[in-house]
Amino acid sequence: MKKYILKRLFMVIPLFFVISFSTFFLINLSPLDPAEVVLQARGTPEITNKLIAQTKEELGMNKPLMIRYYNWLIGCLHLDFGNSYVGGQKVWAKIGPAFLNTFKLTAASLVVIIVFSLLLGIICALNADKVVDKSVRGVSFFLTSMPSYLVASILISVFSIKLDLLPTSGMDSWKSYILPVIVTAISCVGIYFRNVRSSMLNNINENYVLYERACGLSENKVTMHILRNSLQVVVVIFCMDIPVILGGTVVVENVFAWPGIGRLCVQSILNRDLPVIQAYVVIISVAFILFNTLADIINAVMNPKLMEDI
Amino acid sequence: MKKRSKFYIFTVLMCTISLLVGCGNSEGNNNKSSNGNTNTESELTCAVVSDINDINPHLYLGSMAAQGMVFESLVKNTKDGIKPSLAESWEISKDNKVYTFHLRKGVKFQDGQPFNAEAVKLNIDAIQRNKERNSWLKLSTKIVSCDVVDEYTVRLVISEPYYPTLNDLSLTRPYVFISPKCFIKGETKNGVSNYYGTGPYILDKHVANKYAIFKANKNYWKGVPKIKKITFKVIPSGETTLQSLSKQEVNFIFTDASGTDSIDVDAMNNLVDSGKYKIVRSNPMNTKMLVTNTTNKASPISETAVREAIWYSIDRQTICKDILKGTETVANTLFSSNVNYAKVGLKEKKYDLKKASKILEQAGWKFRNGSKIRNKNGKELKIQCYYNDSSLSEKSEAEFIQNSLKEVGIDMKISGEESASLIDRSSSGNYDLLFDQTWGLAYDPQSTIESFESKAGYYYATSGISDVNGFYKKIDEVMVSSDEKTRKALYKDILTTLHNEAVFIPISNGRLTVVAPSNLNGISFKQTQYELPFELMSFKK
Repeated sequence: MKKYILKRLFMVIPLFFVISFSTFFLINLSPLDPAEVVLQARGTPEITNKLIAQTKEELGMNKPLMIRYYNWLIGCLHLDFGNSYVGGQKVWAKIGPAFLNTFKLTAASLVVIIVFSLLLGIICALNADKVVDKSVRGVSFFLTSMPSYLVASILISVFSIKLDLLPTSGMDSWKSYILPVIVTAISCVGIYFRNVRSSMLNNINENYVLYERACGLSENKVTMHILRNSLQVVVVIFCMDIPVILGGTVVVENVFAWPGIGRLCVQSILNRDLPVIQAYVVIISVAFILFNTLADIINAVMNPKLMEDI
Repeated sequence: MKKRSKFYIFTVLMCTISLLVGCGNSEGNNNKSSNGNTNTESELTCAVVSDINDINPHLYLGSMAAQGMVFESLVKNTKDGIKPSLAESWEISKDNKVYTFHLRKGVKFQDGQPFNAEAVKLNIDAIQRNKERNSWLKLSTKIVSCDVVDEYTVRLVISEPYYPTLNDLSLTRPYVFISPKCFIKGETKNGVSNYYGTGPYILDKHVANKYAIFKANKNYWKGVPKIKKITFKVIPSGETTLQSLSKQEVNFIFTDASGTDSIDVDAMNNLVDSGKYKIVRSNPMNTKMLVTNTTNKASPISETAVREAIWYSIDRQTICKDILKGTETVANTLFSSNVNYAKVGLKEKKYDLKKASKILEQAGWKFRNGSKIRNKNGKELKIQCYYNDSSLSEKSEAEFIQNSLKEVGIDMKISGEESASLIDRSSSGNYDLLFDQTWGLAYDPQSTIESFESKAGYYYATSGISDVNGFYKKIDEVMVSSDEKTRKALYKDILTTLHNEAVFIPISNGRLTVVAPSNLNGISFKQTQYELPFELMSFKK
């Protein structure tokens, strides 16, 4: 087991290098002169050649690309992603709090997503093709296909303005979490409960279920076994989706004025704040790798047969 | 054992999540009354699209609205001309090269440091050491020295006469004063340790991308402002701003006239109908216009006739009435008549499609072989126009103009881009037509006109006109002119050339719109679209 986990973690290292390398080089391939970008981002009204040269010197942009990559990489390993072009403060000082805010939103949403996906998935699988199943699928299909900004606007006007129960935006108290979490969860629950449902339906027809029933196991126990076997696929999807939610909350963040990483990234793209964009790509990619690895490990724990493949 | 460990993992996970979610519960609550709404009777909560950022007044990153609340200049620009601010009076030497300022006595920075000649010198010297970054403002290239005469007198020496000196000193940045205690190693160009100015408000708390709280400066030299607390709350989406206004989580907004009009006009009017709010609009602040590229000889836009035909093809009345819903007024000249030196009696070029067609015919642009697009020497009359895609109105205006131009046989392609990309196009000359606006009353006409020779300014718009050297020479002359009559004559020449060459095609005059609680008095405007004098506002008792 330990060996498997170590192997999986070891495989993360080359992947990290590939990602950091491509992030750094792709951004450096852009036709923009970084020094000019810095000056524009700082709001310098008139950019002269002398200023460009001065900025290049100041930021070490005169050095060869590989040396700059090396310095940046060493910095990244210490969570030092350099200085923001806008404001000049450390990138981590900017991205850290924003990341934490998005992480809080993601964590709260995830709890809601897991609870509701499992609950609805099990209910629908056990009542397959009955009215309950069809209506839950119908409603969720409708909700999932609605764009999140529309769902958000409707929820705000109903719960914040008409009923005056919740704040319209901001991140002031636990109440501020309710609407953004619902909006984030709605689109995901609609997809995941279907995965749970179909995975359970596949398992229901397996021989082991028949055998367990033949042995006289209680229906609750049989359901638990089916659920456990069905979860393998779902765990992978859940884990893979954590970074998707982390990186995909930008619409929710904009509508609810949530000071998260998505909004910061869009702002940085508009301001061409390249160090922040680089850091964002690296952080989200690392999140993808880590959660993917985590999914593999959880799966291996649940189904030790998988460990033999490595 | 196995079950127990799973239980522990679950408990730890749930605790972590609740802790994370619970963190920061108290943040930002302090600006709310118990029902979660803004206390509308004594404070203002203003929705802003983006964070105030680093408000170091000697750099250009921060929100000008915030900088204007915290920092002040020696003199201020009003509609009646330059008036005293931190300087009570001043004298200008006969050769117009030495300005002696007598400072207001008893003024203190917000950290208790005295505002005196020494502080002025330290600030101006720090700004001058960052000359390159401030070089867009011509005054910064002309200051020779700033000397302390006595505790409350400073002398500013410039290298040659420069008539907009006082105008430039009145701008929101960079010639404003921050407490020397905030300097880092005697400099401000690499950041400052705090933001203490002499202004009516003190920046009390700032959480990036969330909010900034300003408290009234109890020692303000003009008296304590009536509104004791102003919060700038960051709400990026216009729709959410409106909803927050109707719930009174915020109770104040102002749209800068720079094209970032994210709030729907009809929705604003609905708020007023509810009785909670009122709308106040300023006089024209700037001119929204199409900037042409006269330098690109490969494009038809370099021909005066084509530019003039476009000018005549724009129905400004309809744009202002239907697209801008009456929030802006028709502009027929580059600068509106309330801009200094701009009342020069230029010929109005009204919407007239027949005239536009005639001008094109005379210039040799004709319909040939049944084509609906005019052509000349085998070249079709095609141009490319760019607009800011974050502006609600610019896209509609561009589409409307595109349709009008089609009627006179001009094929205009339009494309929306983000503002950084538009700045690139403007400074590299990679465009035919570009939506833009003049810099505003505090900068017009002098700063806008001075930027004609600079690539970061309007070089590509102006350098293709006939006798461009003579034109630029006049600009240089007007800046050093000391005689009012000569200056007026020079400005008349400059503005007439621009008008006749149709370099800037005006569309509308932008105004600043404020949505404020209906019981808020004293809403007035400065000479700039970026700031408001909050210190003059008060609630009706």
